[in-house]
Amino acid sequence: MADESTRSPLAQRLTRPVRGPMAALYRWMDSRLGLADLINKGLYEATPRRGAWAYTLGSATLVIIALQIVTGMFLLWTYVPSVTEAWDSLNFIARHDEFAAIVRGMHLWGAYILFVVVGLHMVRTFVSGSYKRPRELNWITGVILFLLVLGLGITGAMLPWDQAAYWTTVVVTNILHYIPVIGHWAREVWRGGNQVGPVTLTRSFAIHIWLLPALLIPMIVAHLYLLRRHGEFGSWVNYDPDATEEELAERMRHAEPPYPAKPTEPAYAVPADLDEFFPSQTAKDGVVSFILVLIIFIMAIAVGSPLEAPANPAILNYVPAPEWFFLPLDQLLVQFPQSWMIPVGVFIIPGLASMILMAVPFLDRSPERRPWKRPELMVPAGFAVFFLLFETMLAVNRLFNL
Amino acid sequence: MSLLAAAGPQLSPVGISTGAATLLVGVVMLLHVQFAAFQQGGAILVPLTDFLGMVRKDERQSRFAHGLLKTMAVVFAFGTALAVFAVMVLFTGLWGHFWVKLLRVMFWPLVIEAGAFVTEVAAIYTLYALWDRLAAVRPLRIGLGIVLAIDEFVQMLMINVVASYMLTPRPAFNVPLILFNPTLVPLEIHRLVGNLAFTGALIALVAGVRFLRARTPEERSHADWMGHFGLVIAIALTALQPLIGWEYLKELQLHAYASWYDMMMGGLSVAFLFQIFLLGLIFTAGIFFMWRRVHAAGIRSPILGICALLSLAAWILAAIPYTVGFTYESAVAASANAPIWQGGTIIPFGAMIPWKITALVAMTFVSITAVTVYLKQNSLGHLRWGEARRGQAMLLVTVGVSVSLIMALMGYIRENGRGPFLITGHMLINQQQNFQAPTAPGPALNGAPPSSVGTGPGPQG
Repeated sequence: MADESTRSPLAQRLTRPVRGPMAALYRWMDSRLGLADLINKGLYEATPRRGAWAYTLGSATLVIIALQIVTGMFLLWTYVPSVTEAWDSLNFIARHDEFAAIVRGMHLWGAYILFVVVGLHMVRTFVSGSYKRPRELNWITGVILFLLVLGLGITGAMLPWDQAAYWTTVVVTNILHYIPVIGHWAREVWRGGNQVGPVTLTRSFAIHIWLLPALLIPMIVAHLYLLRRHGEFGSWVNYDPDATEEELAERMRHAEPPYPAKPTEPAYAVPADLDEFFPSQTAKDGVVSFILVLIIFIMAIAVGSPLEAPANPAILNYVPAPEWFFLPLDQLLVQFPQSWMIPVGVFIIPGLASMILMAVPFLDRSPERRPWKRPELMVPAGFAVFFLLFETMLAVNRLFNL
Repeated sequence: MSLLAAAGPQLSPVGISTGAATLLVGVVMLLHVQFAAFQQGGAILVPLTDFLGMVRKDERQSRFAHGLLKTMAVVFAFGTALAVFAVMVLFTGLWGHFWVKLLRVMFWPLVIEAGAFVTEVAAIYTLYALWDRLAAVRPLRIGLGIVLAIDEFVQMLMINVVASYMLTPRPAFNVPLILFNPTLVPLEIHRLVGNLAFTGALIALVAGVRFLRARTPEERSHADWMGHFGLVIAIALTALQPLIGWEYLKELQLHAYASWYDMMMGGLSVAFLFQIFLLGLIFTAGIFFMWRRVHAAGIRSPILGICALLSLAAWILAAIPYTVGFTYESAVAASANAPIWQGGTIIPFGAMIPWKITALVAMTFVSITAVTVYLKQNSLGHLRWGEARRGQAMLLVTVGVSVSLIMALMGYIRENGRGPFLITGHMLINQQQNFQAPTAPGPALNGAPPSSVGTGPGPQG
């Protein structure tokens, strides 16, 4: 890492002590809150230098989740979670409140971009073997966050109470009853009875704004804590598994917090080349996050968020189409048409896939990080990714040709 | 299908029977497809191996990339000659009615196809001529290779638009539906993956022959590595094909039921059975190669051995015919659609559901497992190139020949699946030879009302 004398002018300017009239206020606050310690812990840490742009996806995820919370709060000012008012309140936004329409568009496109960024973040972590010890729990919390984000996405799609939302609600709540033993009970609890109705919307709303965020936020805190505890692994390019013991010992001597990571193999404990989290990594994080938020903003204005006709179960020729991130699951549903096979498509395959995803750090226990040396993981994962993409394309093809 | 019913050209039919014209087009196009498939697979592998050669400083990969490109340049010339002959002589001379009408519907895809062909000529010969000079600016050479790969992708996509439209046509004035018709996506993925697998298999075939003819350890070593490289690509990608093919057939079942029925139960079911036989042979020979190749390196791999045996069992199960008669149709016609132990001709273990499906799923998972285990052995450095035996080289040749055969057979099935139509439900094959001069006005190309343009009877009337 660079010392004070070798920092860039920008870095020196950003990291200089507070001076002037603000210094007294800063000292007063610091003595009571321990701000200096917090800032030091938060900003002044070492990160791997090589491949730093690839490590910006985690912070971009955090920024977009924050954006979702803020835009969601704004939407609560207008949206009414009732089957008689929900559609009208969103229609009011679309027709009479341009600011809220942009906010709603940002909420929708923020969700879409979030799925892409979380997906890429997981792929990066998987390919680089960053889930290996001591970072197993980072991976597990990350997978849980991914599933929670999916849950937020699908419950959010139920709220407009237009035709798409209604049929999404019907299909998604119905999937629950394929869960062995508790399936029927779970469906009734969510629906508030046998059929989708007013209670279903209230409960979907509660799940979307209370239950899932109440799980999401502690999980984010845990994920960040674990990241700070073990440090960013980065990628195999930061390590030399063939380094001699002398080289590794030298690297250990120059390690800066949070390195060396423990417990792990000496070759992967400290990156060969370190950089500063602030301002070097944070600047890259800022650039990527800014570009993503800009894309979300542009899409919110240019495309906006759709609102179909109000929910009407009496219209029988409506063809429900799921949100794009659920297209693979939708295609699986189509491919297992016989009633006894549907649980395989909608519950057993996705359930097994989620469990295997979570168990990855325990399935791959070798110290090796280089992807071409880990075919036992990379080959099946490659097939799985192909399967997901293929199913998505087939679903798009099917819906287009209906 | 107003466009298809529109004016035909004033062409004189050539005095040749429909059967002879079909045979000519069939032979030329099936040959062309083999060349074109190799081009597309090669165009992906050239920049990939050149890139790997650069980042891993592996001279073997670079040498391979260069050799593959030189082969592609030669193959391209033959493939192009066949395509030009087909368009200029066969389509125009023997199938003029069909060709002109297809051009009217598929004008823009075919224009893009022609443009991509010109780009391909420029890219492939630039790379061929400047390969060594571009070594100084390797990223530029790789970039040009990527341009070639994208160009090949566009060409194949446009041809697939045409081919899928002929099988599952949509209303002629709905351009998005014509282009993105129901079988485009599965066909595109089926052929993209298949072409790459085919190229891998051809590389394995050439490597096998070279290994058998090698005189020096160096030749043997390079051929051994080349065979390994090609075979892994061939088997790994072919492992995807049962799933993709299944989806393709599902779309056919929904949108071109008669074709689907012909392939599954009718006259083409025998060809389909032979195809599944070849598929089993490819997997089994490929997995046996992996098992024996690892064994030749002094490593005992029980998992690969089990995979080889499972693949063999799946192959046998998949290859059992459903009826000892010619087709299921003929069994029904002879009132013999009962199990053989009840005096009929049906062999229940030859049924698609559940037995052939079980066999195909088993082949897929067993192949993925085998490729994974084999690559793990390689990643541990156990395979030393040049240690392969002649039997393994023969297995490589078997895989290469089988994949080439299955490519031709699939083309035959796909093109004959439409019969008796050239364009399913809209244009019969035999009407192309007995063309009559147009007599009544038809709509213009832009969908405007009929003008002074003359038109003949509809394609079926």
